[in-house]
Amino acid sequence: MTECACCSAKPILLYSCSGAANTGWLADRVTRELAREGFGSMTCLAAVGAQLSGFIESAKSALFNVIIDGCPVGCGKKIFETNGLPYLEVKTTDFNVIKGKTLITEELVRTVTEAIKRKLTEQTCGSSCKPE
Amino acid sequence: MKIEILGKGCPNCVQLEKNVNLALKNAGLEAEVKKITDLNEIMDYGVAMTPGLVINGKVVSVGKVLKPEQIEPLLKAGGTK
Repeated sequence: MTECACCSAKPILLYSCSGAANTGWLADRVTRELAREGFGSMTCLAAVGAQLSGFIESAKSALFNVIIDGCPVGCGKKIFETNGLPYLEVKTTDFNVIKGKTLITEELVRTVTEAIKRKLTEQTCGSSCKPE
Repeated sequence: MKIEILGKGCPNCVQLEKNVNLALKNAGLEAEVKKITDLNEIMDYGVAMTPGLVINGKVVSVGKVLKPEQIEPLLKAGGTK
């Protein structure tokens, strides 16, 4: 890793699954929480899928493109792979959420947001500047 | 040809505009160059970092101050590259 999220002026862009299932809803909620807390800027996954030039060029220039996919179908991941764009992916189902079953509560949104933040910080922050 | 430079007016945006004009001169091309400073208009392009460079409606660069020699081929391609 040549640049680290803590030290770079380039943004982290956040993309959410917009699927119809409970996992899609959770992905959207978690992504908005991450953006609200300043972890990155939320932008439109559908626009990347539609190959709109501004969104494609932004994704090419971002420090990290973080995709919050709802489930292992991985639509977000596939959109980025189809367009040859770099990405980091997390899935809500990696956090004991069952598609079509788990009730999405405020407590779950908070728990999954914190878990994803921890996971992403490990992936996007270089060891030289990790907080004590 | 229509060129738009997306940015709120920071030094990088100003420099990009200068580089675009220089590239146009070097390439012997004429174009309408417009500065877009309204944040909503910039957001409509999906540009997450400024400056952005748009040629004939297509965003060709985001968050970079391209040099004139990097802009020239983009101008010649009319935004299709």
